[in-house]
Formats: sequence, C-alpha cells, structure tokens
Amino acid sequence: MNRPLSPFMFPLWYRFQITSALSILHRLTGIALAVGSILLAWWLVSVAAGGELFAATHAFIASPFGMLLLFGWSIAFFYHMCNGVRHLAWDAGYGFELQQAYRSGYAVLAATALLTALAWLYVFLA
Amino acid sequence: MAKVRSLSDATALRDETVLRQVRNLGSARSGLREWRLQRLTALALIPLGLYFAASILWLATSDRVTAVAWLSSPVPALLVILFVLAGLAHAIIGLNSVLLDYVHARAPLLAGGLVVRAAAVTLAGASVLAILKLFLGR
Repeated sequence: MNRPLSPFMFPLWYRFQITSALSILHRLTGIALAVGSILLAWWLVSVAAGGELFAATHAFIASPFGMLLLFGWSIAFFYHMCNGVRHLAWDAGYGFELQQAYRSGYAVLAATALLTALAWLYVFLA
Repeated sequence: MAKVRSLSDATALRDETVLRQVRNLGSARSGLREWRLQRLTALALIPLGLYFAASILWLATSDRVTAVAWLSSPVPALLVILFVLAGLAHAIIGLNSVLLDYVHARAPLLAGGLVVRAAAVTLAGASVLAILKLFLGR
C-alpha cells in the first residue's frame, strides 16, 4: 500500500486551486503564529527582567532578521484573522457556493495585503 | 414524545441541542466543547489581536522605558494577558487538530499533544508573570 494518503495529495496529484491553497495557508500561518508566541513570551519576560536580557532581545528584534520575523508575523496574523472570519461565516452557514468561496478567498488575500500595508504605514509614520 | 427539530434549519451553533437528542451515536454531550471553544476564542481574538498587533508593531523596537510604561498600565496589561491566554487556548486546539491529521500512531500523537499543552501552559505562565511583575511593580 504505497498510495498517497489524502493530506499529501496536494500539490502533486491535485490541480492547483486557490481554495485548497488558502486552506493549507490557514494551517501554516496558525502553526507559525503558535511558534511566534514563544518570541512574544520571550519579549514580555525580557521587558520585565530588563538589563542584558532586554538589550539582547531588543538587538535581535531590531536586526534585519528580527524585523523580517515581525513582518512575517504581521502577514500571518492578518491572513489567519481574515480567513478565520471566512471560516466563521461558513460555520454560520454562509458562503458555500463555489463562486462565493472563490470570491471570499480573493477578498481575504486583498484584506490581508491592505491590513499589513496599513499597519506598517502607521508604524513608519507614527 | 420529544419535539424533533429539523437539522437543515438549525445553524451549526445550535446543533448541540439537536445532537443531545442523538444518544449512543457519538459524543453528543461533550463533543462540541472543543469546537465551540475554538470559535469562541477566535471571536475574542479579533478585537484582542487587532489591539495587540497595532501596539506591538511599533513597541517591539521601542526602548525599555516605553515598553514598561505600556505594559504596566491597566488596560494594556489586561488586554495583553487576555490576548495571550485566548491565543494559546486557540493554539492548543489548532495544533492538536493538525497532529490528529498527520500523526497516525498512538504514542507520538499522545506525546505531541502533551508537548503542545506543556509548551502553551509554560508560555502562558511566563507571559502572565512578566506582565503582573510590571503591573504590580510600577
């Protein structure tokens, strides 16, 4: 029995569809946000502790890699939140038609881009 | 005779009432608890997360005095604690459902679930203690 099991059918056996891609992205961003909570707890502890721990944490977050992580966190957060609202609508029984599912998918991508852009615009202007 | 409601006109959130009538066909009493907690925390995380995201993106690179001043004021302290707790409760359910889908052996599945819970509880404890220290010590 060497046939592929269902979660591993994508993308080798299935044609690319935005619906399944967004579904996998919801999981990936969820996992990324959970891993990100380690950095959040670390930052909170470093603020409380102060001294060298805060200096090292601050230097890490302000480094190019740290800023990349923060930017990635913001995209993952806004995407997971917008797609989560889409899931809540499905839970309430709305938007199951194929065309609606595609439209809400594109709307989620647009909203993610808009929210991420607005958030960082606010950071750089404020 | 008990009144039987049609499944088709009940939305998902009302299905528990229907499920309670379906005895001996699965966990009709507590099966929806985790599902509902995931949705409840998802709803809570919309305002909490937006507040946190708007704050953290500029605070993360600020100096310590600014970060301490923010975390030791009552409203941010409360909202960040609620965000961390709701987020980690949401993460436990989410990561466990990922494990359930991809881990097909009993022992690693159990171990993975324990690691997720232990990590989440530790991170929640550390975060809450850090915020309480700043809030109480101001």
